[in-house]
Amino acid sequence: MIRLVRRRLAVAVPVLLATSMGMFLLGAASPMDPAMQYAGAAAFTASEENLAQIRANWGVDDPLPVQYARWLGNLLRGDLGWSTSRHEAVSEVIAARAGWTLLLVGLTLAVVLVASLLLGAIAAYRRGGLLDRALRATAYAVESMPVFWLALAAIAVFALALGWFPAGGLTDVTAGSASFGDVAHHLALPVAVLAISQAPWFVLFVRDSVAESLREDHVLAARARGLAGRTVLFGHALRTALLPFLTLVGAHLPELVGGSVLVETVFSLPGLGAVSVQAALGSDFPLLAAITLVTTAVVLIANLLTDLAYTAADPRVRVDG
Amino acid sequence: MSALLRVTNLGVRFRLRDAVVQAVTDLDLTVRRGELLAVVGESGCGKSVLAHALLGLLPANATVTGYAHLGTVDLLGCGEKRLAREVRGRQIGLVPQSPATALTPVRTGRSLLAETLRAYGRDPGKAGELAADAGLPAADLDRYPFQLSGGMAQRLVTALALAGDPPLLIADEPTTGLDRPLVDHTLDLLRRRCDNGSAVLLITHDLAAAERVADTVAVMYASRIVEHRPAAQVFGRPGHPYTAALLDALPGRAFRPIPGHPPMLTALPSGCAFAARCPRVSEVCGSQPAGDVACHHPIAVPEVVS
Amino acid sequence: MADLLTRRSLRDVTPAVVLGAAALACVAVPLLWPLDQSAVALDRVAQAPSWSHPGGTDDLGRDVLHRGIYGLRVSLLVGIVAALTATVVGGVAGGVAGLLGGWADRVLMRVIDALSALPHLLLGIFIVAMLRPGLGAVILSIALTHWLSTARIVRSELLSLRTRPFIDAAISGGASRARVLTRHLLPHVLPKIALATTLMVPHAVWHETSLSFLGLGLPPHLASLGNMINDGQRSLLTGAWWASIVPGALVVTVTLAIAALAARRRDRLDPRVRAELEL
Repeated sequence: MIRLVRRRLAVAVPVLLATSMGMFLLGAASPMDPAMQYAGAAAFTASEENLAQIRANWGVDDPLPVQYARWLGNLLRGDLGWSTSRHEAVSEVIAARAGWTLLLVGLTLAVVLVASLLLGAIAAYRRGGLLDRALRATAYAVESMPVFWLALAAIAVFALALGWFPAGGLTDVTAGSASFGDVAHHLALPVAVLAISQAPWFVLFVRDSVAESLREDHVLAARARGLAGRTVLFGHALRTALLPFLTLVGAHLPELVGGSVLVETVFSLPGLGAVSVQAALGSDFPLLAAITLVTTAVVLIANLLTDLAYTAADPRVRVDG
Repeated sequence: MSALLRVTNLGVRFRLRDAVVQAVTDLDLTVRRGELLAVVGESGCGKSVLAHALLGLLPANATVTGYAHLGTVDLLGCGEKRLAREVRGRQIGLVPQSPATALTPVRTGRSLLAETLRAYGRDPGKAGELAADAGLPAADLDRYPFQLSGGMAQRLVTALALAGDPPLLIADEPTTGLDRPLVDHTLDLLRRRCDNGSAVLLITHDLAAAERVADTVAVMYASRIVEHRPAAQVFGRPGHPYTAALLDALPGRAFRPIPGHPPMLTALPSGCAFAARCPRVSEVCGSQPAGDVACHHPIAVPEVVS
Repeated sequence: MADLLTRRSLRDVTPAVVLGAAALACVAVPLLWPLDQSAVALDRVAQAPSWSHPGGTDDLGRDVLHRGIYGLRVSLLVGIVAALTATVVGGVAGGVAGLLGGWADRVLMRVIDALSALPHLLLGIFIVAMLRPGLGAVILSIALTHWLSTARIVRSELLSLRTRPFIDAAISGGASRARVLTRHLLPHVLPKIALATTLMVPHAVWHETSLSFLGLGLPPHLASLGNMINDGQRSLLTGAWWASIVPGALVVTVTLAIAALAARRRDRLDPRVRAELEL
């Protein structure tokens, strides 16, 4: 297991370095003048001396490798830079908002996993049946639907027409603080939309996996022993099909994160996704770069965790180390 | 003693994309309590299909005709629910063909045994006892299938099949790939069950094994049973030319292989299927023979069995 | 005729028919019913779908379906151009790695690993944010996030070519490297690349639509479907759902048709080749 962690870290570090370098190069290639960004509206009236002073303070005229090294050094020391669009420290922006994004993504992942395991397994059990055909047709259709379109449709139906859920925000406008029930009520629609949008891949994979698993000798043997259908399906077919599923979940996380950006925007949730969009509109390199790096790091950690879960779940791997 | 298992006119066909596989045709057999019936034949003659047909485990493209009764239960007609809840494991136990793949890889032997016992309403704690009866050491119960040797895996699947103490046990090629001592051990276990009042249907291509423990032998060729007589008669004075040729092919006897190949199950002739390879063939063999020795020119006439 | 209506052939034919209709609309509508993008009709604001306006009208009185077809044309064109650009980028990257081998190959593999852990949309947003926003930035954003499949295909072809004996024979026979490439590599690799590019187009369209929806994509005067959905958000909150839902439906229908056709081709390939086509 230690070997696995070491191997994963050995891959993760160059990946993060490469990403940071790539982003830094892009930022440097940007026609945006960071000094004018920083000065904001005042840039138009600022004198050339002032702008030059700002540039000198920021060291933007230093050679690129020096700037990169400085930026990287700051990052490793915990100083994530200054957000030019929000005029506060990047680490504060991230700290204040990361929790909500994690909550959204975490809840969605939980819902998607449970739903796809259940639906996929049952659909595979009755292969060719009504549930199976409906599920696959729906999955293919939903795969083509942009998540923000689904979100708008959901708002139109459930928030505006039926009035069951709020159309956005995290809490009621009148609320003083975030109560559990209030937040839950507000997150219901965003989580549902994101989950439905991401589910097709998971459901189809589980269904195909379990369908194949059901044809294996050990499942037939379990049936031959007269075990109940439910026991055969969940205790034997799904248990074996689950293993490759685990590692592939990690590979699908980036798409989930991308979807959360759009969902947060449509539902006006105070997460990192919404902030990235604003940062992009303001060409705020420090904030955007930090968010992208942090997101990549989280995805890599999640991949490591799913790998560890795999080794824990598959005795064949565990015993060999 | 009345028959425990009675199969009449059983037929199993598989629908493939561009062919029909005739796996079992016009099969009659009976098994009584205390009887060990060996169904022998070359690979691919339809023996395993018989076992799966009786338990209702055939795939969706299979068509089954005929009758099969276990006591009063109509095996082919009672439906999946009744088969799963009352018959499988409880009335009929199956020792599957390939123990290595027949065990769920992510579960220990103990968990499989306990689960099976629970399903039959028995005490899951008896798993250790069951394993010991089958010759599986307790330490191996907590191992995963990939950690078990071929012999241990065989004992585990035997223990699983006996968990419900079924009156009829079907053993599908239980000696393949095992060494001699283990083969003998397994066969003796099956014999003991018969001596204690259960019935055993032994499916095998190992004639020596059948000779060792069988009371009755049914020889299968190209989806049909061509000879069905007491073991002593089959091995002493075989009636059907195919049986005689099979025995002649044994290393212990003439060691002479049968010329030619068995016909494809997708293209069975209308007459006797062995005619193309039979030294006693004649015109009349173009029609389908029947009887306990299904041959128009039997070597030995079937003696009347009381 | 009877077997034309069987379920399987219906599944094959329907996407082709849908695509054909969409292509026809994109070509015919601007010719037969040209649209003045700046024209507004404030007397017909926010009307629900009806016979005269099957997609309703938006908050400036403009016919949603009519604008939608123009938007579809833009989105498809941008998607196709972006997919082609991604193909070129991937082809070059895979080509360099495959030809040079060794360290170049290892670097490419690391870069592909890195990109697989990065959310495409986030990276796309970053790219657009850093460059001057507009058509070029959007196309580059798509190209830099979708080139993986082509790179893999070209790289693996080149690497396997190196080991084939007839290549050595050709080179020792005097053929130049270029000749070897064109006569042996290209015919083998082009169909796979064509499939990879086709599979990319729906993703490129979704990527552009998402960026435009966020206000980071095409400039408003190009009026892609993403822009329209973004504009339509305002009227959604007042109950006029068609202004954003109808353009979205156009995206869904057309991309679903493309994806369905390409997926059917892809599913007939063996798993190893299929794995290369992952975006």
